[in-house]
Parts: sequence; structure tokens; C-alpha cells
Amino acid sequence: MFKSTQALFGGLLWKTPWRLSSPQKARQRKRLRSVDRVVDTLSAALERNGQTSKAVTRWYAEMPREEEMLPKDKYTLFDKKEKSYRKSIHKLPKWTRVSQRVNPPGF
Amino acid sequence: MAFFRITLLRSAIGLPRRSTDVLKALGLKKRMATVFHAVSPSVAGQIMKVKELVQVEECQYRLTKQEVHLERKPDPGYYLEKSAVEQRSESSS
Repeated sequence: MFKSTQALFGGLLWKTPWRLSSPQKARQRKRLRSVDRVVDTLSAALERNGQTSKAVTRWYAEMPREEEMLPKDKYTLFDKKEKSYRKSIHKLPKWTRVSQRVNPPGF
Repeated sequence: MAFFRITLLRSAIGLPRRSTDVLKALGLKKRMATVFHAVSPSVAGQIMKVKELVQVEECQYRLTKQEVHLERKPDPGYYLEKSAVEQRSESSS
């Protein structure tokens, strides 16, 4: 039976929830930790060989670890078009496979 | 000599061309594929490009494809009975 809903009548209606669920957040933390683990393995292995890598040193200099990050930075990112200057991280394309850890200072 | 044991856990479908090319350069063609590379800054840099997609361990030996496959082989659930003479000759040799 036809039921008039906004999704059927309207043109553009986003059905993506505006916030993350708690299992989504848990999986996000897990992914952040797995990236930390990969970088730690690389750094430890290179150090044992007496070598360094520019990409690894730069990562340590610039990026916070999962446990150092604020919940705000783990689950949201800066967006100038939002009223609060923040939107949920799942709005970021390919958000489960990209590293998005730092935001502009003061936002 | 130490090696990186790199396993591709997540595919690079839909990611920039660069990530796919790095995976190709590392020799990772499909998910759950495992490759071994000697520890060096250049390999570390390549892994850093795809760090969200792979799992990395450090190991001392490079395993062959067959050996990696056999790690996943389940326990057969049985064992062959042997006579005491056979067991003794195996343990002594």
C-alpha cells in the first residue's frame, strides 16, 4: 500500500543518521588503535635496524595516539558549513579507511 | 635479517589510485594476501601509505606461500597409530 512519506515524495532526503551509534564508535576506536599498532611495529623494527623513516617520524610528531585523542576528535571533524563547526565523522567519504585525527586549532 | 609480514585486511576499492598502486607495488593483490619484505625505510614508507588497510608484524624468516597457507590448515581430528618399533626409530633418527 502506498504511504506518503518524505522519502517517497521529496527529492533529496538523507537517510544517514546524524550521529554514530555506540558500536560504530567502538569500531572506530578499534581502527584507530590498529593504525597505531602498525606504526608502532614499523618504528620498532626500523629502530632495531638502526634506521629511521621520514613518514614514521612525521606521524609521531604530528598525530595523536588513540588514547590521547579527545572523543570530539575521534568521532567528529571540522566543517565550516555546520553551525557548531563540527559534523560526525561518518559523513567523511571512506571514513573507515582514512586517517582523520587532527582538526583546526580552536574548533 | 628481519622481515615485515604484511597482510591486506581491507581492500582499496574506491580509494585514490595511489593506494591501489602502492598495494600492487608491495605485491598485495587481494584481501588476506600475505607478503614478506625486508625491513627498510622504503618499505616502511610504502606501508605508511596504506596503514589503514594492512596488518603488519615483524618476523625473522620469510615464509613461502605454502607455509603461510599451512598455518591456516585445521587440525585433522585424528592421528595415525604407530607401532612402538616405528615410534622408536623415528625418535632416535
